[in-house]
Amino acid sequence: MPLNDLIGYFEQLLTGAVITVELAFSGYALALTVGVAWALLRRLGNPVVTAVWRVYGSIFMGVPSVLVIFLLYYGGSAILGGLLGLIGLRARIDVTPFQAGLAALTIVQGAYAAEVVSGAMRNVPRGQFEAARALGIRPYQAWWYVIMPQVARLALPGLTNIWISVLKDTALVALAGLNEIVARSRTAAGATKEPFLFFIAAALFFIVISAATLKFSARLERRLDRGVARPAVAGGRA
Amino acid sequence: MKFDPALALHSLSAMLHGLLVTIALAALVVALGLAISIPLAVARNSQRPVLAWPAAAYVIFFRGTPAMILLFLVYFGFGQVFGARDGLLGALFSNAFLCAVIGFTLNHSSYVTEIVRGGLLAVPKGLEEAAAALGIEPRDVFLRIRLPLAIRYGLKAYQNEVILFTKATAVVSVITVVDLTAVANNIFYDTYDPFTPLLTAAAFYWVLVNVIRFGLARFDGWLNVHLVADEQRDRVVMVRADGAVPRPIATAGISEAAE
Amino acid sequence: MSAAPLASEAERPVAVAIRNVDKWFGNFQALKQIDLDVHKGEKIVICGPSGSGKSTLIRCINRLEKHDSGRIVVNGIEVSDSARAILDVRREVGMVFQQFNLFPHLTILENCMLAPRLALSLPRPKAEALAMRYLARVHVAEQAGKYPAQLSGGQQQRVAVARALCMEPRIMLFDEPTSSLDPELIKEVLEVMEELAADGITMLCVTHEMGFARRVADRCAFMDRGEIVEIAPARRFFDAPNSPRLQAFLSQILH
Repeated sequence: MPLNDLIGYFEQLLTGAVITVELAFSGYALALTVGVAWALLRRLGNPVVTAVWRVYGSIFMGVPSVLVIFLLYYGGSAILGGLLGLIGLRARIDVTPFQAGLAALTIVQGAYAAEVVSGAMRNVPRGQFEAARALGIRPYQAWWYVIMPQVARLALPGLTNIWISVLKDTALVALAGLNEIVARSRTAAGATKEPFLFFIAAALFFIVISAATLKFSARLERRLDRGVARPAVAGGRA
Repeated sequence: MKFDPALALHSLSAMLHGLLVTIALAALVVALGLAISIPLAVARNSQRPVLAWPAAAYVIFFRGTPAMILLFLVYFGFGQVFGARDGLLGALFSNAFLCAVIGFTLNHSSYVTEIVRGGLLAVPKGLEEAAAALGIEPRDVFLRIRLPLAIRYGLKAYQNEVILFTKATAVVSVITVVDLTAVANNIFYDTYDPFTPLLTAAAFYWVLVNVIRFGLARFDGWLNVHLVADEQRDRVVMVRADGAVPRPIATAGISEAAE
Repeated sequence: MSAAPLASEAERPVAVAIRNVDKWFGNFQALKQIDLDVHKGEKIVICGPSGSGKSTLIRCINRLEKHDSGRIVVNGIEVSDSARAILDVRREVGMVFQQFNLFPHLTILENCMLAPRLALSLPRPKAEALAMRYLARVHVAEQAGKYPAQLSGGQQQRVAVARALCMEPRIMLFDEPTSSLDPELIKEVLEVMEELAADGITMLCVTHEMGFARRVADRCAFMDRGEIVEIAPARRFFDAPNSPRLQAFLSQILH
């Protein structure tokens, strides 16, 4: 197998990696937004919101992401056409694999993000809200300066996990035709008859990003934990 | 966007066949995964590098890699090397279903190892010391005290992983295994109707996931009849992706997102 | 400073012999040349400030910590790395912890039965009878079917005492047994410990409960910064402390 060809296929892999990263970043950003939005909405305690959440959460956390991707890709243009039809527009909008994947990731991982952020909010001690109110700080200031930083700290491990999930779920979009790194590794492996080379290369791509994420997350966690009292270690020497 | 009940009914038997394949795959992998994970978790926690490092490498590789790549590696990679040969390995790697079992087991077991490891680390040292001080041998301390408690602490995270994995089996059609999703796709290709088969399949998965959730919740209730006011209960063993020992975070909701 | 026994005690057999024991945690020396003879049936209370090495010392006796030099001999068994020796020592010695450390997933009865069944190979009915006997001794027999989380702190600690007693040890170690208890629950545990002491068991107790020490201890030892600064019969320890450090400590504790 001529080296030039191999290098060519690796370049292909790289292009695919870029697509993967683009999808992962945008998917994560949107999922985070959806998650925070849901968490804030749920805090209102409104029964309609709660009911809608329970259906939304149950469905999208109870169904394989791949099916959501398929539904949005194959059925996406029909869905969009139908929605537009509701407001009187007749148009045909085609959905690309990337868009279907992005939407699916946003909806599904957004649900998980909502759980993480909700849980984090619930675990900020009640006293923090009360102290802020007692000091006369305005609500939105309290949220911004006092509450959200603590939510961030508590939510960090869960949100890190969600990023890694999003990253790995981008591979599923290959099944809808997106030519990202996993799809390209399969093409390359088939063409060059070197499955181990290309699949392990693709695997390493994901592993390296995961590892880098965890290092970054650990450092961020240490920084956010400044000033947090640690429980005394049991079994201290007397 | 329309749902065709007639089509749904008509394809029911095919879908059930697919569902059976999905369940068989999931059950096998869950069983194998659990069996491998306990010794792996012990190795991971071990002080001896000869045990700890390979275990760590196993977890880092198989956990960081998307399941699809692992399936490809096993089916195309090992399948290519061993598949054409006679004998056991040949039979093993030329069978798509078995390749799926191997690939998914490698992936799933790496997650479960971290959950078991987290559970083991969450058992307070004082309990082990008390057991040792009573003259109980190390092996019994592990089997009677540490492991049972590790299971209880890790159960929520384990439940989440089993459910996530069951949903992840949906990609197995990439290596020609005809599971529920593959059946749904086939019907779609035949009928040009994406919604009916995909939504029906989604419904099946949803039921399956909730059956698992319900069953494990019952098991959890039975195991934890004693944890009326145990403060340890509040320490959710939420396993971080790097397997770091979880900080005690009292939570009720974060558990859903445990990965 | 060596523990010089009074003439009348010299004839009593030694249950725990500690000679020239040092222990380091990294660069920090937790125990410095400890010499102590605990006689059979003797009750010794060890007190001192945090970090003085009191817990470390008694944890070395049943090998929960390893001493780095010197010798510890328990009823004739040398405490060493030998797995057999460790198990034998732990059957001679029972321990009660500050954090109770009851097994949360087992009932009270099962907590007490576990060690006799596993370590002494007692059949279930015998282990159960044994456990009920000791649970009755600490006055919690009626809680046998409950789980630890359902009991108060004082009850849990008494169960912990019963659990240790079920192995029928000849020596009992107490590591600040009442330090985690709410004030009103301390008394019930101390009463159980006093009843035990009256029965003649050898006891080594790390505690801040000076009233208990006065009533129960034969000798009291004061540890500070890894050394036994002073050890004396209880009367003299409290009424006429020799060393200035002990005098300072007592004046702070007894207010």
